[in-house]
Amino acid sequence: MTLAPATEEGASSRSGSHGSRPDFSPIEPYSYSVTAMGGRLAIHLDAADRADEAERDSRRLVARIDRWASRITRHTETSDLARLNADPAAEVAVRPTLAAALQAGMVAAGTSEGFADVTLLDARLAAEGIDALATGSRLSEWQLIRRDRGAAVVRRPSGLRFDLGGVGKGWIADRALALLKSWPSAVVDADGDLAVRCSPGKCWEIAIEDPRTLGSNLAVLRLTAPPGGIHTSWGVATSGTSIHRWNVAGGASHHLIDPRTGRPAETDVVQATVIAESALRAEALAKAAVIAGSVEGFALLERARVRGAVLLTTRGDVQALPMTLSLLAA
Amino acid sequence: MNTTQPGRASTANHVPKSKPDARPMRFALVAGGIAALSALAAAIVLPPRPTPQQGSQVADPQPNGTSIQVQRPIKYVQLSPGQTAPPGATVIDAAAPTPLTVVVTLPPQAAAAPTPVVIKTTQSGRVVP
Repeated sequence: MTLAPATEEGASSRSGSHGSRPDFSPIEPYSYSVTAMGGRLAIHLDAADRADEAERDSRRLVARIDRWASRITRHTETSDLARLNADPAAEVAVRPTLAAALQAGMVAAGTSEGFADVTLLDARLAAEGIDALATGSRLSEWQLIRRDRGAAVVRRPSGLRFDLGGVGKGWIADRALALLKSWPSAVVDADGDLAVRCSPGKCWEIAIEDPRTLGSNLAVLRLTAPPGGIHTSWGVATSGTSIHRWNVAGGASHHLIDPRTGRPAETDVVQATVIAESALRAEALAKAAVIAGSVEGFALLERARVRGAVLLTTRGDVQALPMTLSLLAA
Repeated sequence: MNTTQPGRASTANHVPKSKPDARPMRFALVAGGIAALSALAAAIVLPPRPTPQQGSQVADPQPNGTSIQVQRPIKYVQLSPGQTAPPGATVIDAAAPTPLTVVVTLPPQAAAAPTPVVIKTTQSGRVVP
């Protein structure tokens, strides 16, 4: 993991809001950013005059996250997940961190009506042109049997392999935010998937990046908690087909596998951002909206009772569920 | 007395009419019957095919630049009288309301200006060469 200089750039204070929402000033955060999990990992805290404390807590949290990520990644042969995938046995004992992440995978599948699927590693490798057979969903073929102290046994047919990918990042963001108990307003950014907590009377501004133009945004969200209320938690996640893509024989391909076909999704959604109660739910539903396409995706998001959603389509439209308007900056 | 009944020719004067050849008509009837049976068999044997349809959209422009759309995801096949649903299919009442999803199209100006916001939600990963 490479430590990068802390970002001290404050968010701009801009007035104006939709409708009759209270006009809170955006938090100017203390930000700590590193390269991890194959991307960006950042901690943002409403630190005011507690900058030293904020840096110490951020460093500790990043070290903790790095340990979790090292156990659930499929990209290193020594990770717990890589060992599980390589094990030919039908029943394999796994340690608590991997057990919890796999459990999160089951939750993500349920939340997304099966679109967020951790059993599609072979299909993903086949899409990358790596020697593997493209298979559809195998969600129904495995079980997680919980044991004492958070450990578990994975029971699955020999050869069924897992890829926690985005599910792992959403799970890590939520888990990390839960450790920042002494910070009433905090954000954990796990490579674009955010777990957000806002204290009453405060406001986080979060931009939705426009993948078509570097440095520009599709929209800016203002996530607030009403004064006198309780702390409010949010999950904000973005998924899409325009960044993580590659060329293989037969044309361009991308990383979002449709579990119905075992192949990269053919969809009219370039990018989906979902606002929900947790980063895990937001990540699973954003992925589902891209794979399902805009019409079925919006219907799915509505059934899932998300707090907001913004989709960029192949036609260039930026579409949103109506409740999203109350979360947008003017 | 030699009488002749009207309308009846005497046997001696009867000239038999030449009958039309029945074979073409029989052939046509047989061919038509086969065609009808084939169509009937195809209707019975082939399952009803769903019309691939993503959904319909109705747009309603608003004064502030947004437009509101109503989307109807269509994921069903209308059964004709006498048809039965395939095994495993969910059967819904024809009177049940069609599911609707209302979406808003954000105006282009909302997507134009870059803003100096520190925290961003982005797609993960990078382009793989």
